[in-house]
Amino acid sequence: MSAGRRRVSRRVPRSATLIAGCVLAGLVLAVAVVSFFWLPYAPDDTTGGRLMPPGLPHLLGTDKLGRDLLTQLMIGARVALEAGAGAVLIGGLVGLAGGLAAGFATRWLDDTLSALLDILIAFPTVLLAMLVTAAREASLGSAIIAIGLAMSAIVARLTRVLVKRVLAQDFITASRTSGTSWPRVVVEHVLPNIWPTLSVNLALQFGLAVLAEASLSYLGLGAPPPNASWGRMLQEAQASVFIAPAGVIAPGVLLVVLVVGVNLIADGVRDVADPTRRRTR
Amino acid sequence: MNSKTTSLLGAALVLALALAGCGSGSSGSAGSSGSAGSTSGAGTTAAYDPDATIEIGSLYEPQNLDNTAGGGQGVTEAFNGNVYEGLFRLTDDGKVESLLAKDHTVSKDGLTYTFTLRDGVKFHSGKPLTSADVKYSIEKVIGPDSQSARKSSLTVIKSIDTPDDSTVKVKLSSKSISLVYNLSYVWIVNSQAKNLTTTEDGTGPYTLGEWKRGSALTLERFPGYWGTPATNKQVVFHYFTDATALNNALLTKAVDVVTSEQSPDALANFENSADYTINNGKSTTKLLLAFNDRKAPFDKVLVRKAITSAIDNKKLLSSIWGDYGTLIGSMVPPTDPWYEDLTSVNPYDPNLAKQELAQAGYANGFSFTLDTPNYDPHPTVATFVKSELAKVGITVNINVITADQWYTKVYKNHDFAATLQEHVNDRDVVWYGNPDFYWGYDNPQVTKWVEQAEQSDTAEGQTELLKKVNRQIAADAASDWLYLYPQIVVASSSLSGYPVNGLNSQFYAYGIKKSGGRG
Repeated sequence: MSAGRRRVSRRVPRSATLIAGCVLAGLVLAVAVVSFFWLPYAPDDTTGGRLMPPGLPHLLGTDKLGRDLLTQLMIGARVALEAGAGAVLIGGLVGLAGGLAAGFATRWLDDTLSALLDILIAFPTVLLAMLVTAAREASLGSAIIAIGLAMSAIVARLTRVLVKRVLAQDFITASRTSGTSWPRVVVEHVLPNIWPTLSVNLALQFGLAVLAEASLSYLGLGAPPPNASWGRMLQEAQASVFIAPAGVIAPGVLLVVLVVGVNLIADGVRDVADPTRRRTR
Repeated sequence: MNSKTTSLLGAALVLALALAGCGSGSSGSAGSSGSAGSTSGAGTTAAYDPDATIEIGSLYEPQNLDNTAGGGQGVTEAFNGNVYEGLFRLTDDGKVESLLAKDHTVSKDGLTYTFTLRDGVKFHSGKPLTSADVKYSIEKVIGPDSQSARKSSLTVIKSIDTPDDSTVKVKLSSKSISLVYNLSYVWIVNSQAKNLTTTEDGTGPYTLGEWKRGSALTLERFPGYWGTPATNKQVVFHYFTDATALNNALLTKAVDVVTSEQSPDALANFENSADYTINNGKSTTKLLLAFNDRKAPFDKVLVRKAITSAIDNKKLLSSIWGDYGTLIGSMVPPTDPWYEDLTSVNPYDPNLAKQELAQAGYANGFSFTLDTPNYDPHPTVATFVKSELAKVGITVNINVITADQWYTKVYKNHDFAATLQEHVNDRDVVWYGNPDFYWGYDNPQVTKWVEQAEQSDTAEGQTELLKKVNRQIAADAASDWLYLYPQIVVASSSLSGYPVNGLNSQFYAYGIKKSGGRG
């Protein structure tokens, strides 16, 4: 496994999947970065006229209130990336901690933790989001926490399996008998060995988190107006899809670009990390 | 796009059809013929199928089947006038006519009303209607457990006597010119009926067939109806939670009529088609930016006036509703007798708004939280309000809440600075006379006028006083009345005789005719 890890760094630039993924996700990232320095219009500028078609001066047209769609879309890119990164951070940290605990647990404690994780995984993200929203308020933060928590269960279950597999290996026993403490075992042996698989999974989870945020915003459980979120843009434009399709198509396409990009990155990383898979292709 | 021309054309068509409806309606004498003559809409002479099933698409499924137990606007839509009838009926154009009451007299002091009931009226269970049922039904509405919206307007009733089976004597604690109007909202229910949240026993032209929760509610023509039988055999209300799905159902002919369109954009699908008729009726639903008039800074008239002048309602209305809807500048819709166009009282003028803010001591603006219900159109409207008020230096924090949260936080606990809400009822300007209402508008003069209006001897006197109320609340900018919704009914062209105004969300189905040979 550690041999495979070294191959990752050498092979990264050679994977076409990885490059395609980086280009797509990088495009959205670039849009989000640009939005901090420049926007075509002020976000609350309503002078554009109702549902103008794409053209000049509004490249992608306007929404019902006369706001520039491109501006909304650019700010939406920020929100999507924030949601993805925030959820992965929460889900990754909580999930990793929980997974390590479950991985080291034995017998009944292991059974209990596993059952707990299964229950958490079965819990719908939307319901969790509604609970978090009720406890706090409808905001991007609430949505990120809800998505992160839902994700943590999935990460934890994967981590648990990976940790158990590593712990069963001979070099762990060797390391322990030579007097290494458990915390050092985790840092020196467990984490480096589970990381390749885990990182691929986290990348996939990033894409899912972006979709989940869009769904929650669509349902009104995400960032409150007037913050632009692709999900809410979709919801607001839905009724007028037949007369102003750009309002639905634009955020939809960007959502697909970002999620496909991230998934391709995950695929690419897995391909180069796993030599057997690469050879069969 | 040529949508403007087509919608104008549509409006002209509606007008023509409405006039035709009036013509045929006036031939039957009011209230004597049961169900005829009370609906406008299309009144064609084409042959119709008396055994047709009318498929109605709606967004408002009842919570339960009892309008005194929180049945909601859905049960009014499906049952009012169709399954249950009152002593009086509010017609689709806002007139009150006799229904189960044959006639009534008022004592000289205006405190005793004597109603004589119509003969030969039977409940769906077969039991004949008696005065005991009327007494029971009114008491049900004003009883302690009642959740009826009309409860407070009927609390003037001191006692109800039933000297014989067909006479009801109602004694009042003070004069109430709106009593007859308010009684049109009291459903007469069989006093022995049980489980009224899931079943019914009314006197209307339809009985309840089947209610599949979450999906559909079926009404069947009642063979023992006392008046003119319904012009169709069966009515099915199909319930949707999503306006787009509802419109698609109309496009695929899964439903024949949509009771109330919620977005102008979906209309594009129907505008250029001979298969559909778009009816632009009169609505009583007002969208309010309601301030908490008890709390600073909204306790200052100048601040409220400034906000009203800072928001371009015309632009807002066209953003949300395109070419539909009306600006009224007050709480009174044009169907109320005391309507006046008051849009000029606080005109859109950001410079005036800034001056007024400075005068009120807020030259540098201020910030407040706007409690915004999470369903359409409120979030979009909140965004617009925020953007408009930013131009005069006021910062709005949008707080999105659910309908339940709104009820508890805003309506019951008055724990808010400002909120957005739609008020659907007609004749509801009188709420400004109640200082304990959620918006906390407290002007003793207005309270007095509202009381006097209720006790006036003539409709003219009432109208004059309520006009004063209306002008005063507009002058005080008690709330910001953003706009009056349009009421748009879209129907298959094979239908006629459906209501187009849907006042208070009622939808009389008994006059709907479907032309034969439906393909």
